[in-house]
Amino acid sequence: MIKIEQLSKSYGSHQVLTNIDAEIQRGEVVCLIGPSGSGKSTMLRCINGLEQYQGGSITIDGVRVDANATSIRQIRQRVAMVFQRFNLFPHRTALENVMEGPVHVKNESLAEAGERARDILASVGLAEKMAHYPNQLSGGQQQRVAIARALAMQPDAILFDEPTSALDPELVGEVLGVMRKLAEKGMTMVVVTHEMKFAREVSDRVLFLDGGRIAEQGPSAQVLTQPRNERMQDFLRRVTHAE
Amino acid sequence: MFDTFFSDAVEYLPVLMQGVLTTIAITIAALLIATLLGLFWALLRVSGVAPLAHASRILTNLIRGVPIVVVLFYMYFVLPDFGISLSAFQAGALGLGIAYSSYMAEVFRAGIDAVDVGQYEAAQSLGMSRAKVLRRVIFPQAFKIALPPYGNNLVMMLKDSSQTAVITVVELSMQSKLISAATFKSATIFTLVALLYLAMSLPMMYGVGKLERRLGNRK
Repeated sequence: MIKIEQLSKSYGSHQVLTNIDAEIQRGEVVCLIGPSGSGKSTMLRCINGLEQYQGGSITIDGVRVDANATSIRQIRQRVAMVFQRFNLFPHRTALENVMEGPVHVKNESLAEAGERARDILASVGLAEKMAHYPNQLSGGQQQRVAIARALAMQPDAILFDEPTSALDPELVGEVLGVMRKLAEKGMTMVVVTHEMKFAREVSDRVLFLDGGRIAEQGPSAQVLTQPRNERMQDFLRRVTHAE
Repeated sequence: MFDTFFSDAVEYLPVLMQGVLTTIAITIAALLIATLLGLFWALLRVSGVAPLAHASRILTNLIRGVPIVVVLFYMYFVLPDFGISLSAFQAGALGLGIAYSSYMAEVFRAGIDAVDVGQYEAAQSLGMSRAKVLRRVIFPQAFKIALPPYGNNLVMMLKDSSQTAVITVVELSMQSKLISAATFKSATIFTLVALLYLAMSLPMMYGVGKLERRLGNRK
């Protein structure tokens, strides 16, 4: 459903992404891994139109992603995003955060959106926290609210930009647990992550980015256990050592 | 001096209170103008339309670069040349309001700028239009950030309302000057005036401080 062809992006003279080709099928879970500065977050943000790109194309079910076109708003309603720093709306409760999109973008009734928001929050284990404001929640709880907010849009796919990188180590598990459940339910997911265990166990495919290019890709089990690319072998040694 | 201070105070206070009322009235009128106009400038700044943003920046800088008294002179002495005759009070409120609109614009813009970029991205990623992003997500947060400096501007404006005396508005400071010229009781009268200004500004400053602490806690 997400098709990336010859994607290139630069900031001035600094080339960030070079000729990226990738296709993500419906129901697939794909992890983007690579050293920091390799362009994986930028690639993810391009898919959502949060970054503009200079070369190539990204299409969602045939519709071109163009950050300046009004069509981007339709695309964003179908391809949700979860951020590293949660970016919850601090002036709204957990429930209001989750209802914001359905009510104010999709014009759903308060009753309908409210009921679904409660269900979703319960499904991510936050039934007790609906009336809490973000600053009354732990990082892990905030990120689960953010995932609920994405889910409330009933998207076709969700993009995760390092969803556990800002969390205390003991809170990582609860967020990965929710994501694991989503994957099992068949949600299309593109995940930028440093969690190799998650990539190995949950994702179907892994793309390894290095210096703005896809240096290696393939089924996670294969690529993560027997990488051919030297840079990837090196990268894996370093991150698994840290684990 | 002190033996007569209280008996004099009782005598002059009622007259000074008329000045207090004018000071309050002109401050409120100017606050209204400064707030609405300041919001307008700030909205142009964040409109995303470059020419509008530029125009707003240039205009507010022009206003900020001119002393308030000169703005007041313009309102009272120059506008009649263009067929617009304002009363001293109207010219005072308008001039003070326009002069402060540039400071208010800065306060609002700073508030908007202080909202985390991630908030724009999160709102955008839900598919919101730019107008909705601003209205639903950015402005409510910017408002809280801008409230304390807005309150500080209000205190400054209360004091600067005394400048409208130069275009013959008989507000508190002007009233006191008139009385002291007639009675020569300068010490008593100007002490009273200082106390009256403090009676208005200190509660405001206290309120702003309280607001700052409360918003700071809740974030």
